[in-house]
Amino acid sequence: MLVVAIILLPIVAGALLFLLPRDDRAVSRAAGTIVAAATFVGLLFQPAEFSFRWLSRPFVAAFHFGATPVSFWIALLLALCTACAIAASNVPRLRDFTALMLFLEGTMLGLFLSRDLLAFALFWDLMLIPVFFGLIGWGAHPATAWRYFIYNFAGGLTLLLATAAFGVLQGSTDVIGTTTAPLAGAWAPWIFAGFAFAFLVKTPVWPLHTWMPLTYSDTPSPMVSVVAAVQSKAGLYGFIAIALAFVPEYVHEYAALLVLLGAISLIYGAVVALVQNDAKRIVAYSSLSHLGLIVIAIASQNSLALQGAVVYIVAHGLFSAALFLTLGFVEQREDTRSLVRLGGLGAANPRLAGALCIGALAALGLPGLAGFVGELIILAGVYQAGYTWAVIVALIAIVLAAAYALRLYQGIMNGPPVEDLPVRRDLTWREGLALAPLLAALVVLGVQPHPVLEASTASAPPTSTVSR
Amino acid sequence: MMATHHVMGVTGAYPMLVTLWLLPLAGAVLCWAFGPQLRGLAGWLASGAIAASFVLTVASWASGTQSAGGALGAHQYLFSWMPGFDFGLLLDPLSLLWTLIITGVGFLIHFYSIGYMHGDRAFARFFAYMNFFVFAMLTLVLSDNFAGLLVGWGLVGLASYFLIGFWFERRTAVAAARKAFVINVAGDVGIMFAIFLIVANVHSTAFGDAFAASGTLSSGLLFAICVALFIGAAAKSAQIPLHTWLPDAMEGPTPVSALIHAATMVTAGVYLIARCAPLWSANSDAQLLVGTIGGLTALVGAILGCVQWDIKRILAYSTMSQIGYMIMGVGVGAYEGGVAHFFTHAFFKAQLFLGAGIIIHNLANEQDVRRMGGLIKRMPFAFVAILTGVLSICGTPGFSGFFSKDRVIYGALQHGHPWLYAVGILTAGITAYYMFRLLFITFWGEYRGSVDPSDLGIRHPELSGVVDPDAGAGHAKEPADRAHHAEHAPAWIMSVPVGILIVPTVLIGWLMFGGDTSPWNGFFASSFPSAALATPAISELATSGVVLLLVIGGFGIAWWRYGTREAAANAVERLRNESVRMPAILTHLFYIDAAIDLICVRTSQLLGQFFGRLVDPLVVDGTVREAAFGARWLGVLVQSLETGLVRAYALVLALGAACFIAYYALAVAR
Amino acid sequence: MAVAISNYVGLSAVMFFIGVAGVLLRRNPLVMLMSIELMFNSANLLFIAFARAWVANAGQIFAFLIITVAAAEAAIGLAIVVATFRDEKNVDVDQVRLLKG
Repeated sequence: MLVVAIILLPIVAGALLFLLPRDDRAVSRAAGTIVAAATFVGLLFQPAEFSFRWLSRPFVAAFHFGATPVSFWIALLLALCTACAIAASNVPRLRDFTALMLFLEGTMLGLFLSRDLLAFALFWDLMLIPVFFGLIGWGAHPATAWRYFIYNFAGGLTLLLATAAFGVLQGSTDVIGTTTAPLAGAWAPWIFAGFAFAFLVKTPVWPLHTWMPLTYSDTPSPMVSVVAAVQSKAGLYGFIAIALAFVPEYVHEYAALLVLLGAISLIYGAVVALVQNDAKRIVAYSSLSHLGLIVIAIASQNSLALQGAVVYIVAHGLFSAALFLTLGFVEQREDTRSLVRLGGLGAANPRLAGALCIGALAALGLPGLAGFVGELIILAGVYQAGYTWAVIVALIAIVLAAAYALRLYQGIMNGPPVEDLPVRRDLTWREGLALAPLLAALVVLGVQPHPVLEASTASAPPTSTVSR
Repeated sequence: MMATHHVMGVTGAYPMLVTLWLLPLAGAVLCWAFGPQLRGLAGWLASGAIAASFVLTVASWASGTQSAGGALGAHQYLFSWMPGFDFGLLLDPLSLLWTLIITGVGFLIHFYSIGYMHGDRAFARFFAYMNFFVFAMLTLVLSDNFAGLLVGWGLVGLASYFLIGFWFERRTAVAAARKAFVINVAGDVGIMFAIFLIVANVHSTAFGDAFAASGTLSSGLLFAICVALFIGAAAKSAQIPLHTWLPDAMEGPTPVSALIHAATMVTAGVYLIARCAPLWSANSDAQLLVGTIGGLTALVGAILGCVQWDIKRILAYSTMSQIGYMIMGVGVGAYEGGVAHFFTHAFFKAQLFLGAGIIIHNLANEQDVRRMGGLIKRMPFAFVAILTGVLSICGTPGFSGFFSKDRVIYGALQHGHPWLYAVGILTAGITAYYMFRLLFITFWGEYRGSVDPSDLGIRHPELSGVVDPDAGAGHAKEPADRAHHAEHAPAWIMSVPVGILIVPTVLIGWLMFGGDTSPWNGFFASSFPSAALATPAISELATSGVVLLLVIGGFGIAWWRYGTREAAANAVERLRNESVRMPAILTHLFYIDAAIDLICVRTSQLLGQFFGRLVDPLVVDGTVREAAFGARWLGVLVQSLETGLVRAYALVLALGAACFIAYYALAVAR
Repeated sequence: MAVAISNYVGLSAVMFFIGVAGVLLRRNPLVMLMSIELMFNSANLLFIAFARAWVANAGQIFAFLIITVAAAEAAIGLAIVVATFRDEKNVDVDQVRLLKG
């Protein structure tokens, strides 16, 4: 029951927030943070599975929830990011925003904790709603919101169709975390295609990425920190928990294509990030690049690369959340996030500069921080799987990452102070405390990644060391 | 992944290693966290941490050189980092030597910095970075495996980035820091690739496992590993064509240049190759490649050193050139020679930089030698410091540089590379020229600080290799807002470390006296693989003679151009003529910077603009938009069927039902 | 003597097509509603005829259900007609084209 309580708590609490007065900012922020933190603590108790029959015909489906070793870490990441993001948020109509954030957390917890494909698909669509309203209601152009929604909903549709076909063929969708007989027959490749399309859109992977830079730059920073950090991982988690588990032979068959798409994303994102002037867009394109690496890792189907992929999923979540939150602080203070306007903030804001610096360093894969561990293990595994060219592309992208991450950091913090920028106070205690857990986790995971590494070896998906 | 962790055959535990490794980190954290509270004490705290680390290193001498079951040194296992990536510390003669230099010379430079950085706004932050650097460098040299080495490799790059960009309100410093870091990351990924090759074939990253397996690897694979490692070494040690960041790195405070960009970090490449000697010795192609690039770097660095005007840039190119020697030495297989040159260079180059720092400090941050002159009277102590350094770097017999440089040059011949031998001798002559040029311009004649810069041929920006076009004045000056002119620290804080350094600069080379029977060779007796040496037709003594002749020649030219009474009297006019008439290829540093800028930086920026501005909105997004328009067009088409005539709908309904029934009726009938 | 089942089916078919023709050809919505009623009753007739023939009472129950649905349908239909008349001052189904896309 605890697992259901964890999923429902943020949703119910989000609804209850509307009982508060409209302008009660401090209380709704505190309540939201506490609720998200409570889900984090609840997850630490490793709640037992819970199942409730949903459908019996045409196939068995259940509201079956419970963490797998991989989803456990992603759910923890989600709860942590949400707590930090709510604590850091300072947007107009904070009560409504906090409610949306909690709804977002609840739906995404439902997604990652689902052990049933149909429930997974249900939450897949539900989690789009709060982001859509976050875009519409907090200043984004409606076209951006619709673009986000249509792209991802199209993915949700193919996911649902693939799930239905899967259920009809296998007789049950209550399968995540178990192994089933391999799918066979004329429908199997289409089921794989349906899953893959949904996951590739969500991640996103080139050329399905064009919704992403717009969404990431226009969503309010606290929300995008959760979306970029965790929602983007839904596709990757889907690959690991669903595609690799139930249609591995098709992942294997199309591995070269997936590696190619991942490699294109990797280099494309890095190169475009190099010349963007919008700070949030730099991080958005860097996300495209980093997640491309994870797609390569998954497609290589090498057990070492998969271990690295799980670490990198968590690491990327931590540093992209930290980066987006920090950029949010900068934008709030200076009313701009253009590198053309910004500059020289470091002298007056040492704490803000330090936070951005650690985030940027983690993004460029500094040894000792979590991102490096993920990169190193993924690439070692991908090399062993035989994709030497993909490794070389990734190494080039790492050099580019150093260039764009430093450009981002130095463009904002270094150089002579800009005369006409407003002078605001440095990072406050609240903002600092909101960032601290993310940054600390980056260091801890960078030095001692073992618990997360072992998640993928403990989980069910069969992995084969592909030898060529 | 292999469970056993084989480290060069060394077993057992040596916890003191952990203490001396972590002390600088503790100092860094304290200085960083309590900087405002510590104020001036930060410098003493940081120096104390390094001093303690040095004392522990000296105390570990016996453990580091002990022989245990045929293997040398002491080892401490730390923890399992990742599957197959165990982490431990290893102290053997090679890492002991580096640790001694890092903590010993590091301590002196820390101490010197207390005076040099006195009054800087970010005094404590400076020492936090410096201590962090020492920690990172110790990680690099003490690690017992390639992954740990890579961590240290990346972290020293980070420390170097922070310290080059220490005065981060200057655009030139910021650009130089970024350039240094990005080029160093390019090196890091080379080492990463080597790790992938090693892990895939040896299933371990421990040095011992890799070296033990080196005999079983195919020569192509071995060559690939060596080349990948050398990319890292070349980036870190400023080898052609990845050297362009080093001169720009002089944007950092002078003690930083002395510690990081002269004595320790830039020699990491030498350490890497010496550490991986079993790999290089097993592959002659890699030896030829690395030796050639080392020799070329020595030559190019020396030539470029002749045309610089910034005192720190002259020293930077000389550093590049001397590291070229070291790389040439360890590259061709003369490991003792290459490492010996690292050892002596650490002293005399640190001393040269610290001496230059005294001048810069006293001349209100002036770095252009054309605006110096006649300083022998004003700063006799700096003169002595620089003179001994110059004599040593030129290889004056009896001074430390003489012994180590000759060993590298002669080693090239012994290992069968006569061309590199010739390049080494030639470079020695050029070295003498540009170092004495520096000495004469700076100390001879009259002080030119009050001469109008344009009369000296000083243009802005001048010889600036910094990529950033809007970098402003390329003429590097430390920021004027530093308040240290008003309240100088006592002079002895800066003089004492330099005075101490003079002793090894002059004397330490005698350790290498005596060829194969010298104490130096005894120290490294079983560290490096031995190779069958040719017996060259030219003896070592004759080589020394030839080198000495060329050095005297270089000195003579420098004397003739800058040192004579007549030259000193016409210094202003001569310097202007030389500045103005310098060939473009030299002022543009052989266009290497420009080429890298064009090939790597501009190309990726152009690609980024192309993808971001054109491909994304037009091609990728355009396809999607066309699909959306297609759906809309279909909608318009279907819309025309909606007449709104209810009876028409009913008719369609009825007809449809009729068709349906007819189909089933026919199906049943059949 | 029992009437042959084919007679009921025939009558029902005739009634149904009269209803269809009425819906398609008449323009007065009231008449169209009555025609729909006719089609309902043709279905009812069939249900009852077969229920008798096979002695299965389910058919008779369905007839009651259909009568109920027909009543509801007539109520909604008339309401629509009244509402349309209010808006358009016209109940000719060819003149009212609210569904045009």
